[in-house]
Amino acid sequence: MKPEKQDVQPEKQGVNRRGMFRILQAGAAAAVIVPKAQARVAEDQIRYAPKGAYAMLYDTTLCIGCKACVTACNEANQLRPDPGYSKYINNIYEAPPSLNSQTKNIIKLYKNKENTEWSFVKQQCMHCVDPSCVQACPLSALSKGAFGVVAWNGNQCIGCRCCQLACPFNIPKFEWTAVNPKIVKCEFCSHLLAVGKKPACTSVCPRGAVIFGTRDDLLAEAKKRIAGAPGKYFDNRVYGEKEGGGTQVLYLSHVPFTKIGLPELGEEANAAKVRTNSETIYQGGITPLVIYGALLGVTRYFFKEHVKEAEEESAQTGLKEQL
Amino acid sequence: MPQSLTPASDNPVTRSLSPGIDRRSFFKAVLQIAASVGLSAVVANQMAEAAVRGKKPVVIWLHFQDCTGCTESLLRTTQPGLAELVLDLISLDYHETIMAAAGHQAEQALQASMKANAGKYILVVEGSIPTANNGNFIRIAGKTGVNMLKEVAEHAGLVIAVGSCASWGGLPSAEPNPTGAVGAHEILKGTKVINLPGCPANPNIFLATALQYATLGTLPELDSDNRPKFAYGRLIHDHCPRRAHFDAGRFAQQFGDEGHRLGYCLYKLGCKGPATHANCSTNHFCEVVDAWPIGIGAPCFGCTEKKLAFRMPMFQTVDIDRPRPPEFYPSMTAKYSSVSAVATGVVGVIAGAAAAGAFKLSKKVNDKPESEPASDKPSDGGK
Amino acid sequence: MSSGFGKPNEWRRSMALGGQMLTPAFLIVSAVAALGLILSLWREYAGLGAASGMNDGYSWGLYKNFNVTTLTALGSGGYALGMLVYVFDRRKYHVLMRTALLVSILSYSAGMVSLGVDVGRPWNFIWMGIPWVWNMDSVLFEVALCMTAYVMIALDLENLGPLLERLEGKQFPKLVNEMAHLAFRVVKAVYPFFVALAFILPSMHQSSLGSLMYQAGHRVHPVWQTPMLPLLYLLMAWVIGLAFVVVVLEASCAIWKLPMDWKLLSGIARISGFLGVAWFVIRLGEVWYRGVLGKAFQGDLFTGVFLAEMLMVLIPSVMLASPGISETPRKAFNLLMILCVGGMLYRYTPTTIAFMPGENYSYFPSVIEVLMSLGFIALAVIGYLYTVKRFPILPVPMQLYLRTAEPAVCVKEQIA
Repeated sequence: MKPEKQDVQPEKQGVNRRGMFRILQAGAAAAVIVPKAQARVAEDQIRYAPKGAYAMLYDTTLCIGCKACVTACNEANQLRPDPGYSKYINNIYEAPPSLNSQTKNIIKLYKNKENTEWSFVKQQCMHCVDPSCVQACPLSALSKGAFGVVAWNGNQCIGCRCCQLACPFNIPKFEWTAVNPKIVKCEFCSHLLAVGKKPACTSVCPRGAVIFGTRDDLLAEAKKRIAGAPGKYFDNRVYGEKEGGGTQVLYLSHVPFTKIGLPELGEEANAAKVRTNSETIYQGGITPLVIYGALLGVTRYFFKEHVKEAEEESAQTGLKEQL
Repeated sequence: MPQSLTPASDNPVTRSLSPGIDRRSFFKAVLQIAASVGLSAVVANQMAEAAVRGKKPVVIWLHFQDCTGCTESLLRTTQPGLAELVLDLISLDYHETIMAAAGHQAEQALQASMKANAGKYILVVEGSIPTANNGNFIRIAGKTGVNMLKEVAEHAGLVIAVGSCASWGGLPSAEPNPTGAVGAHEILKGTKVINLPGCPANPNIFLATALQYATLGTLPELDSDNRPKFAYGRLIHDHCPRRAHFDAGRFAQQFGDEGHRLGYCLYKLGCKGPATHANCSTNHFCEVVDAWPIGIGAPCFGCTEKKLAFRMPMFQTVDIDRPRPPEFYPSMTAKYSSVSAVATGVVGVIAGAAAAGAFKLSKKVNDKPESEPASDKPSDGGK
Repeated sequence: MSSGFGKPNEWRRSMALGGQMLTPAFLIVSAVAALGLILSLWREYAGLGAASGMNDGYSWGLYKNFNVTTLTALGSGGYALGMLVYVFDRRKYHVLMRTALLVSILSYSAGMVSLGVDVGRPWNFIWMGIPWVWNMDSVLFEVALCMTAYVMIALDLENLGPLLERLEGKQFPKLVNEMAHLAFRVVKAVYPFFVALAFILPSMHQSSLGSLMYQAGHRVHPVWQTPMLPLLYLLMAWVIGLAFVVVVLEASCAIWKLPMDWKLLSGIARISGFLGVAWFVIRLGEVWYRGVLGKAFQGDLFTGVFLAEMLMVLIPSVMLASPGISETPRKAFNLLMILCVGGMLYRYTPTTIAFMPGENYSYFPSVIEVLMSLGFIALAVIGYLYTVKRFPILPVPMQLYLRTAEPAVCVKEQIA
């Protein structure tokens, strides 16, 4: 920034007076605005899944698209059924077009144009190990609770929808038509977990396409399935082991993950990248304080000079000085 | 007025049973068979006409390693009844279970029929053929099953394998398969064998196939496993009476539970319907309503599919065989919102007004501020 | 005219314009603002979905992305100019400070109103008072806190000058005059502390508005998505903040036929131009360094937007930075406006145009949303029209000031 600032000095007045603040000015400007160009995640910003973190494992090769999990989810969470496409024909079906404020869990179909490749996919909150929504939420309404479940607390939510902006999977949904709108997303059936039951979707699945367990167990299970049938699964990889810093919902798929709506995120959590970036700039709040101190010093000096000049002029003209 | 049809005089089976059926009910029986397996009305009529004219298929029925279940179901079909069946619809020249003759007499009947109808008769195989230990697990009239099959098949006009055992080995071929049981087509390499798998096979499928061959001289269209498409072209799942429960996600979780009693989908209990090609769901057995596995609350076990029955564990859920997924699932790329023309217009008007205002304002900007003296009073003008 | 007061168009003091309030323009703007406020009530009644084109993919619409993210950049003039005056000691620009600060507080206040309308559960703002629920990791929290503090504390205090000056006028009782004078002395004493605060807070939240979009990760087009977003956002706030101060002053002079100190203004315009060039170089270098320059030229919508914002910044900036600009106020006015539009486009693009939530979500503001957004801008315009007529804001030459404003204040006659 410094050189540009110098360029714009059209008149060289008061060079000596300014000279002593040169370094300070440049340093302050540089420290405020120049973050590390590289988006490397700092070691201390990496988060890990808590011990015994709950997880789900979903396998596209097993899913038959029966949608039992969709109905069970709605019943367990007391959500109004969404007639979706059928709203023009008597509202008889529950057919949400996507996750929305009435749907925390959905089965979608991926199909290529030629109809030769297709797969069902279950979408719900991924319960990231390092969730972007929790990082983004200003008043901690979203938090990562016991066993790593990402839960929403309506008493602290201001409805800013920053969670929706930040979620890489496009999961949190908002009640757009409500006066008292809520953020709606899968919360791992916390109320069922509390009484020792499994999440509704995992208990009704007829094929065990989605199963419930601890993250460690399910990762081992997924790797066992891959080892048992090399080449059956895309990339021989469990989605969610490392993607985006890891998720607590794991996916096995026979089609590329991007086809079923799972973006290739890299191993670093975006939340960690954001924190690293902010931390690089703010250094735990020290940078703003130091810069404030420096700015205050410079400002006080020049303000005094200015006031002296203004008072002189005021005495000369008899006019009140203007701040 | 009842009119007796000419019975096959030299038929040892028919000779032992009472003759006589009126033409009308005979015609009806043929039509029913044809219609029950989904043949078109035209073809059904042709078949009926030909059958009435006395073109009855000569059938030689061989048993190997079987339970006779296919025969039993054939005998228990009521439309046509047993009498119409063996007396009028087919000419059953050799059948070890129901023929009156035995021993040498039976063997003579077989040889006589083979000679008389060489190249025309229909060979029906029931049961799998043992191949281990030189085929010695079965011997009839001193011949091994393999040899007997080869001998009879040599002059047959058509070979039909009835039941899963004859089609691909069936129950006897289940692991570890001590008898080396195989289906008829594996012995008769080079001969066309029509497979009618099922445990048992639905008798109507057999009758329709046999009648079509005998009367029209043609064969039904076959799939890659040589199964007639009219019966094996579709999935049990596609016409299952419990399909609504499947689509609604209502599954019996275990035998005897609430869902099972309420008639929920049996998929989770191991029903193989979604991967099984057969017409059981539309053509119940022997005209008894709901006389098929799913109808009585038992999961389909996939008897018509070589890869399922006696191969896949009974209570394991099966992959759903669906070459074209249905369209009523939300797509990955559904369209959710659109641009309103009014809103676009409003934004355009505002942007235009802002640009015009800015342009007008720029015209008013004093381009020579140094030269003009300050006006005495600031103007009161608006924008 | 006296040489002691400088040239006839040299700005020396701020003066209230006076004159009639209810002009036709004022009434039209008021109607737009009233419509916006009425529609805001409708939004509170019917929910956000009914009042806007926002959806679960594009969860932020005009209210946040335009009225806050984009327009507060336009209103960063008070902060950028303040830095110039008090940190880089360009004291001659001090006379422009009141206008710049007024524009700032109005644009920020309009942004805050918009933000208030935008949040779904505003009653939970009470938690802002309870530090242990604060999420210190949250970028939005930092933006909210810094922006509120800036508007409520720093900007308010900086804008107290004109108010106190008016309260010291003869039309008010003596007690009020004395109180105002006392307050003036207090403000003067603490002024540097708050001015320094008014520098650090906008630096933080203007850069953090960039971090907000950095949070969206892969969902922002790679040409725009970069860890450098905070820097580029901050720099752009300086560029168009300064540019807009000049635009406002030039427009005010044109509308009210005031004498224009173009020598002074062209200096700001040039600085804005230099910063614009710097921004362009950093942006281009950054896009090139990350190796995504090719993605900006794939012949799609993004190519158009990228070219538009880059050229709308580069071309006016280069022309403004050239010395010849001190001769052509009208051309400069046009260039500055193009620069502002280009800069606003850059600030807006990552939030909506280059934001790709996937699943074929699309967004276009609804009519109500546009009218509400426009209404909030109209509120700021009303504020400007009222304030410059009733408070000493706009800079004028000394002669004009002495002739028109409160002659009693002139103790020593200096007119020749």
